Amino acid sequence: MECALDAQSLISISLRKIHSSRTQRGGIKLHKNLLVSYVLRNARQLYLSERYAELYRRQQQQQQQQQQQQQPPHHQHQHLAYAAPGMPASTADFGPLQLGGGGDAEAREPAARHQLHQLHQLHQLHLQQQLHQHQHPAPRGCAAAAAGAPAGGAGALSELPGCAALQPPHGAPHRGQPLEPLQPGPALPLPLPPPAPAALCLRDPRASAACSAPSAPPGATPPAAAASPPASPAPASSPGFYRGAYPAPSDFGVHCSSQTTVLDLDTHVVTTVENGYLHQDCCASAHCPCCGQGAPGPGPASTTGCKRKYYPGQEEEDEDEEDAGDLGAEPPGGAPFAPCKRARFEDFCPDSSPDASNISNLISIFGSGFSGLVSRQPDSSEQPPPLNGQLCAKQALASLGAWTRAIVAF
Amino acid sequence: KLRHHSITTVTLLPDIISTVEFNHTGELLATGDKGGRVVIFQREQESKNQIHRRGEYNVYSTFQSHEPEFDYLKSLEIEEKINKIRWLPQQNAAYFLLSTNDKTVKLWKVSERDKRPEGYNLKDEEGRLRDPATITTLRVPVLRPMDLMVEATPRRVFANAHTYHINSISVNSDYETYMSADDLRINLWNFEITNQSFNIVDIKPANMEELTEVITAAEFHPHHCNTFVYSSSKGTIRLCDMRASALCDRHTKFFEEPEDPSNRSFFSEIISSISDVKFSHSGRYIMTRDYLTVKVWDLNMENRPIETYQVHDYLRSKLCSLYENDCIFDKFECVWNGSDSVIMTGSYNNFFRMFDRNTKRDVTLEASRENSKPRAILKPRKVCVGGKRRKDEISVDSLDFSKKILHTAWHPSENIIAVAATNNLYIFQDKVN
Repeated sequence: MECALDAQSLISISLRKIHSSRTQRGGIKLHKNLLVSYVLRNARQLYLSERYAELYRRQQQQQQQQQQQQQPPHHQHQHLAYAAPGMPASTADFGPLQLGGGGDAEAREPAARHQLHQLHQLHQLHLQQQLHQHQHPAPRGCAAAAAGAPAGGAGALSELPGCAALQPPHGAPHRGQPLEPLQPGPALPLPLPPPAPAALCLRDPRASAACSAPSAPPGATPPAAAASPPASPAPASSPGFYRGAYPAPSDFGVHCSSQTTVLDLDTHVVTTVENGYLHQDCCASAHCPCCGQGAPGPGPASTTGCKRKYYPGQEEEDEDEEDAGDLGAEPPGGAPFAPCKRARFEDFCPDSSPDASNISNLISIFGSGFSGLVSRQPDSSEQPPPLNGQLCAKQALASLGAWTRAIVAF
Repeated sequence: KLRHHSITTVTLLPDIISTVEFNHTGELLATGDKGGRVVIFQREQESKNQIHRRGEYNVYSTFQSHEPEFDYLKSLEIEEKINKIRWLPQQNAAYFLLSTNDKTVKLWKVSERDKRPEGYNLKDEEGRLRDPATITTLRVPVLRPMDLMVEATPRRVFANAHTYHINSISVNSDYETYMSADDLRINLWNFEITNQSFNIVDIKPANMEELTEVITAAEFHPHHCNTFVYSSSKGTIRLCDMRASALCDRHTKFFEEPEDPSNRSFFSEIISSISDVKFSHSGRYIMTRDYLTVKVWDLNMENRPIETYQVHDYLRSKLCSLYENDCIFDKFECVWNGSDSVIMTGSYNNFFRMFDRNTKRDVTLEASRENSKPRAILKPRKVCVGGKRRKDEISVDSLDFSKKILHTAWHPSENIIAVAATNNLYIFQDKVN
């Protein structure tokens, strides 16, 4: 099907529609927003499938380079077949969206590929800048570039969207290069019920802290990782949800380089971990949207601002033992990432600045599933009875799920 | 037979028309608009002096059916737009119709008054009550003719039964009950009882995050008072039998056509959403409208429609821009003619289409003032999809997407159609031979 718009534009248009529907007369139109969410899902799937295809290709190149450079490829690189972005059976409700294999998708969306390529190039630039900064002290948090692997290589792999730091399909243990066994964290925006475009919005490499990292979740992982914010039902179910759907960075033998970007949808804190350094609030604008959480070793990740040194060698051993539980404590939250989000979103829709912060909230809400959308339906009286008032607000919020967050956000 | 129609009336209404419906005899035609008003047209009686003149439709009654409301509890404004009007069959001198906005259904009685009682002697000329002591006789008032007055009074208000937006109402063939459908639920009402209704369909999932489809339209079977159908945003139709259980969540029949994978696109879900479903007068078929097609289904065959008609397939390559400008969400209705041989539906550029099911011929007509002289024959229109455009053709890119015909109605027995084009109501009638 020819479409004049690429996936990214569709996503931003769709989000705008959803946002504006909240203020339309007569209340939220459930039907229309449901249909828009389908477009979001479709666009996102295509976008991701293309990103992975791109990544996979780059990874292949990288592999070849490295094998020439380094002798013992002590990492068995698993070339997992690039899977079509079909949905696992558990999402039968939404129906498998057969977008075809990566190749087909690419062939069919040249515009999207071009966009991807541009993004990649921009990201490369960005990373090179970061590398410069990294070489000079004052690491600006997530601005630190990948150490270890050559910047180019890191860059290539860093292109993998933070949100794409998915669990490897079928729980295959990661066998890549020394890589941060960084958990994508509970916040992983991607693996959520289909209408979850948050992932994509995180991914813009041009945003100030957009150091997305191809962090490979360790083999065992996912469900627990997602379970770490005690609350949100959507993330909890999602990693398994998407398991097997997408090839994970780990499958590409991702470098340990660079960073993992993780967004915690419950606390709205974005954390980046790069090379074992845990950064939060690293952005000039107070909060970095691209921080991830890592569990680079035994024990849970530490609290805000704590940096952990991390040895590449350690990773390999760790990653095998690691399980999702290592993800550890979620970063103390509450920090709104809106400012960084705004920058990012505006890259997508330059003319949406007044709503951008709302939209960023919307994105995070949406990342929690469709219910965030319908939270304003005049139906709250029919929701399950609210929790015991004795629970602390945060817990209450967390356990009530996305729709409550939506109400809070607005 | 498909013939070119001549126009009888074009009426400019004060607001955008949101629904059009003939009553069961075709004598009356009701329109609802975005401002909550109902305008009823009545067909002139044919007079012996003017046998060549078919009865024209003139305004018969106008009233404000719904007002905008504000739900303070939920901070929601409730639009007054009339979503649907359905007539009840006439059982006495008065006419009854149901009209609904997003939340409230009302039963209106429309009745005529052409006589007035006169001759009361209990009041003086100024209308003041006379002192009873001065009254010595009681005069019986006499009915005297007066100018015809048509009054509409709300007889029932069926409120507070829908959480979501009402999209359909349908009168049951028992004439005692009717149903109202919103995005997730269908309620069954008795006309006499306004403070309760039965919920007969509920597709709301336990967890709204799992919502995958909504109800888009619903209708009772024309003869079997236990049977109804409802369509979904996923392009499926369910037929339910109320005798089977109180809650008809489990359908008796399920109509779905498998998707054509070669047509897959970003917008597949949107264009497969059914915007209207209508039983044929015979009750044997149902017709559904989705964004690009009209389909006719045989009730006895669930796995695919028996007929599919392309309304404006040239829009398939434009879905992206139609998504951007929201046109892809337009909900077109569809109608049967009295004999179920022709179906009609609207399109853009004020075009509407008719399909003859027997001859398989179709025609595109336009509702426009410029092309519509009182006795003119409607000229068929054609959209040029590519290549060289012929003289009278219009190219896809020239179509005016702000001029859409969403609502049409067909007289129950004659070849008279009503077409709503934004604020204009066109009534076309067959040429008199």
